[in-house]
Amino acid sequence: MSMNSGHRQLLLLFSLVLLHVFMVVPGFFAPYDYSEQNRELPFSPPTRLHFIDSAGRFHLMPFIHPFRASEDGSAPYVEDQARAYPLHLLKDGAPYRVLGLWTARLHLFGVEQPGRIFLFGTDDFGRDELSRMLFGGRISLLAGILGAAMAIFAGAVLGVLSGFYGGWLDGLIMRTAELFLALPWLYLLFAVRAILPLHIKTTQTLLLLITVVGLVGWARPGRLVRGIVLSAKERNFALAAKAMGASNFHVLRWHILPGTYGVLLTTAALLVPQFILAEVTLSFLGLGVGEPVPSWGSLLAELQNYSVLTSYWWMYLPACSLIVLFLTYHWASTTLQDKVAEVRS
Amino acid sequence: MKATATRYRFWKWALLVLAALAGNMGPTAAAGPQDYAKSGGETGEPGGKLVVALRSEPKTLNPILSVDVTSREVIGVLNADLIHINRETQRTEPALAKSWTISADGTKYVLQLRREIKFSDGAPFTANDVVFSFELYLDEKLHSPQRDLLAIDDKPIVVKKLSDYSVEFDLAKPYGPAERLFDGLAILPSHLLEKPYHDGKLQQSWSTSARPEEFAGLGPFKLSSYVPGQQMTLQRNPYYWKKDPRGNSLPYLAAVTFLFVPTEDAQVIKFQSGETHLLERLNADNFTLLQRGATAKGQCLQDLGPGLEFQFLVFNQNHLDSGKAPDLVAKQSWFRDLKFREAVSLAMDRKGMARLVYSGRATPIWGNVTPGNKLWLDPNLPHPERSIEEARKILQSGGYSWNSGGTLLDPQKRPVTFTIMVSSSNVQRSKLATLAQDDLKQLGMDVQVVPMEFRALVDRLLNTKDYEAVLMNLVNGDVDPTPEMNLWLSSGETHLWDLGEAHPATPWEAELDHLMEAQMTTNDPAARRKLYYRVQEIVAQNLPFIFLVSPNILVAAQSTVGNFHPAILEPYVLWNADELFVGRAGAAKCQ
Amino acid sequence: MVRVARRILHGLLLLLGVSTLSFVLVSAAPGNFFDELKLNPQISASTVASLKMAYGIDKPWPVRYERWLRSALRGEFGYSLSYRCPVGTLLWPRAQNTLLLTSLATLLAWMIAVPWGILEALNRGKWLDRIGGGVTAIFLAIPELVLGLLFLLLAARTGWFPTGGMFSSHGAEAALLGKLPDLGIHLVLPVVALVFGAAPLLIRYVRSAVAAVLDAPFIEAARGHGLSTTRIVYRHALPAAANSLISLLGFSIGALLSTSLIIEVVLDWPGLGPLVLESLLARDTYVVMAVVMLSSVFLVTGNLLADLLLYASDPRIRTV
Repeated sequence: MSMNSGHRQLLLLFSLVLLHVFMVVPGFFAPYDYSEQNRELPFSPPTRLHFIDSAGRFHLMPFIHPFRASEDGSAPYVEDQARAYPLHLLKDGAPYRVLGLWTARLHLFGVEQPGRIFLFGTDDFGRDELSRMLFGGRISLLAGILGAAMAIFAGAVLGVLSGFYGGWLDGLIMRTAELFLALPWLYLLFAVRAILPLHIKTTQTLLLLITVVGLVGWARPGRLVRGIVLSAKERNFALAAKAMGASNFHVLRWHILPGTYGVLLTTAALLVPQFILAEVTLSFLGLGVGEPVPSWGSLLAELQNYSVLTSYWWMYLPACSLIVLFLTYHWASTTLQDKVAEVRS
Repeated sequence: MKATATRYRFWKWALLVLAALAGNMGPTAAAGPQDYAKSGGETGEPGGKLVVALRSEPKTLNPILSVDVTSREVIGVLNADLIHINRETQRTEPALAKSWTISADGTKYVLQLRREIKFSDGAPFTANDVVFSFELYLDEKLHSPQRDLLAIDDKPIVVKKLSDYSVEFDLAKPYGPAERLFDGLAILPSHLLEKPYHDGKLQQSWSTSARPEEFAGLGPFKLSSYVPGQQMTLQRNPYYWKKDPRGNSLPYLAAVTFLFVPTEDAQVIKFQSGETHLLERLNADNFTLLQRGATAKGQCLQDLGPGLEFQFLVFNQNHLDSGKAPDLVAKQSWFRDLKFREAVSLAMDRKGMARLVYSGRATPIWGNVTPGNKLWLDPNLPHPERSIEEARKILQSGGYSWNSGGTLLDPQKRPVTFTIMVSSSNVQRSKLATLAQDDLKQLGMDVQVVPMEFRALVDRLLNTKDYEAVLMNLVNGDVDPTPEMNLWLSSGETHLWDLGEAHPATPWEAELDHLMEAQMTTNDPAARRKLYYRVQEIVAQNLPFIFLVSPNILVAAQSTVGNFHPAILEPYVLWNADELFVGRAGAAKCQ
Repeated sequence: MVRVARRILHGLLLLLGVSTLSFVLVSAAPGNFFDELKLNPQISASTVASLKMAYGIDKPWPVRYERWLRSALRGEFGYSLSYRCPVGTLLWPRAQNTLLLTSLATLLAWMIAVPWGILEALNRGKWLDRIGGGVTAIFLAIPELVLGLLFLLLAARTGWFPTGGMFSSHGAEAALLGKLPDLGIHLVLPVVALVFGAAPLLIRYVRSAVAAVLDAPFIEAARGHGLSTTRIVYRHALPAAANSLISLLGFSIGALLSTSLIIEVVLDWPGLGPLVLESLLARDTYVVMAVVMLSSVFLVTGNLLADLLLYASDPRIRTV
């Protein structure tokens, strides 16, 4: 039942890489473009894959029945049994760009026109949720990583400086941290968004806003790091090193900083999800990416509507994928923490 | 000794008889010199308590200062006006003024007031209160928003007291919708507010934190209590000046409680659980949700059809300095091209918008007058069907072409790309913008939707004029076209597509100016209608706005609410609060 | 003592700095309160202009800032443009409601987080830790808004809890003793939602801090001496791990006024949250400023307390 730690770490690495590959080339895994609307099929439930047809024969390759509006009011859609489309792997489809460099048309799977395969259902404009989730993940993940990186970097630098040198520098940095924590950064974001020219692509605007939130967010990691450094620098090993003539930099690098790695790792694994959530909040407030570009924040924003919350269960799936991602990060963070502890002891 | 005792007994009996007689002469007597109005609804059961949810708290209960919808709604049931617009028929009817005459030249209105009416604190209502109220509305130092409505050509109306129960209003010019001006102008008690006014403290009076004793009004209810952030309770005004056809005094309700519930979802939940009796305006999704259980519970859900709100797309046609914004000015060559706008209008999938964004509970429109406006809609306006091919043909005839990738190129071979700004706080408008963007993609236009916070959007629209296209909405305040003059007049401050023009920029805008002025100063309704039909024709031909859809008014009531006659004019369900009653189940008869 | 006095002085200077910077930011956002009126065709531009003059909005920001500062010192904190009354009267009742909610929730969150985090740290690597970690990850991933909506759904479907508000419509006028059970049942959902939002983060940090300490040699030594686990944890490990926990405590106290904004809006709790959101969007500047200042006071106090506790708990820290 239990794997040894080497296997576990490989599995972890593999899942992380897999998740991020989805994000790097979403076009390949998604059957459709994220903005393709199907106005006659709003809020259609996920397409069902069938292996056994009406005659009782088994097919290796599953097939689907398209949905059509139902006559009676029992459900909005019923399967059109008269038509069936088999699933094709490695199919040609809508063009997409790979890493912004070249255009490709190959998709992992798809069905013949005019069939449609919606593995995760559709949204209110009949757009495929799976495709939107894959494309949206790219933006949200980028926002999360960028924001967390900014916050951690700024926080670590300032926290270490503040804790190590103490005195007036510490006072200044800590007061500035409090200033940053107290500011109504929402106003700042509104102001920044409002003065930007209209032509900046909304993805770029979002990343700019996340950078702002990230830079503003250095205060918490900074305070935590400072606390640790303050305590560490008075510890025996640090004092001993100084007594032996080590430079400040040496003491910092070899004796004090390692004490912060635990906190920084926890914080990193915590901040990425938090900044993804920050992107979600920004989307709720209308400061996120503009239509039709999806992000997990804008996909989750659909749940704000009570009737969507209660009637269309497949709209929860972006939330589930978010949770899967966060679980993976959490797993990574605890494993790394334990590894660091191992190495140090 | 005996004589004193007898005299004492005589006086005691005399006093008792006098007291009995005096008691009978109170306001509840059916006979008497008071001019009470008669209501038209069905007879209801007295004593019910109504609970209604409001989206936000009223900011003030002072009619001079109120600007927001919620304050106006609460003030509306606490006060009364001289002439009232019946929300169901959309016509004026007598209120505190029982009759009026108009002079031959149309500039003098003499209103006869109802006699022997009292304020909610028992003080008498006379012409002094009317003159005092209008003095406040017209006082420049108080900055009342109602002041602008009472000024024609910048000349304020003159109010003169003719006798204790008649008042004369002098207008500078004949004014077609003069009667409608009086609706919503609450008549204030001079006996309570005169002193604060002369002391300069009127703006601090009648805030929401004032005590109930400080108020007096002529409306069906008076303030009873207020818990900040949670609820406001009103109680019945025993001196209200209306009776039902059987002679019972109105209102039927003993109390009305307003709960402050900020989100619509929470309001729907409270209605479902029976905590509130009425829902004022639902969105389509919640309406569908409520419909599922409504028949079982006997709830009345009504789709009243389109209201007076219209959603539209407007392109920036302001005259701008090409040195400062060369890109924008270059793009304006498209926005000013009528063929461009015609093509955009033909490409819009209005039916799809109504179906997808409003679950079918919206009406496609091609003009600013919606089908909800029974009196003023031009029945002969064309309703062109959506057609991408037609739109493409029109663009081609205007010199536009397409490159191999399908992108639209203008006559100078520049690719057509622009942004549509939309308010980020309104989910439905963002969705309309998404649909519009997809529609325009089929014409080869590269459109980006930019969500922006509302006030920043308004700043760009009205102050800096730094925008390309905006998708927004406006709501007409009344069915009558005159309050919206500033939209159509070239010098008007909300002449959105081209602000700040002293003179009309095009011949058709000149004609609009002329027509709007004419309909304002004519008293003949048929003539006004003809003039306004022509206005609608011109607007439909020249497309300064590209009209999209008008959302339907959706309301709901529990089955126990009687006399439920919702209307498409604000306040949709409470306009006849004086006739509403809470009775046995099934009282709310749904059409 | 001198140290405390110096920190208090720093705190006051900080408040001044926050107020100035906020004022500048608020003035930088385009649009003002009266812009919405400008869009109304029935109100003329001259009325809007005269309203702006009457409320002093047309003046440059240093002038307005100075006037606001003086008003703040008088306790009024300026004038609300939406409500037409001094901001102070708006603020205090709502701040009390928010504090009631958040103090209760923060207390509960810490009471849950510390034992749970310790438990996870003691069992680190084993299945208890993994499952616990998974559960906290899930809760961390759910946005507060969705959590609030789910609770609302729960209340509506089951009818066990009221769907928002602080009192029911008759409860608000009851006597004090009658009010308490009504208040109690209305508190349940928002408090639970807040705890679900705050506890996972705390649990993570507690686990991390305690786990780091449990690997230290002196703990091994204590175990070797035969001390019981409870004694080890509570008398040796926890004080050593207290460093980062104290900083977190400072944050928790500092965030008492601001952490419940979304829950208050969704579950309709009459606190500062709905007020500040509404005022932010309406550009009711002074209300926003007052709330920012109040939050800053809490923040400064929280950090001050944390610093003092840090100093007291770890005698090796000499500079503060």
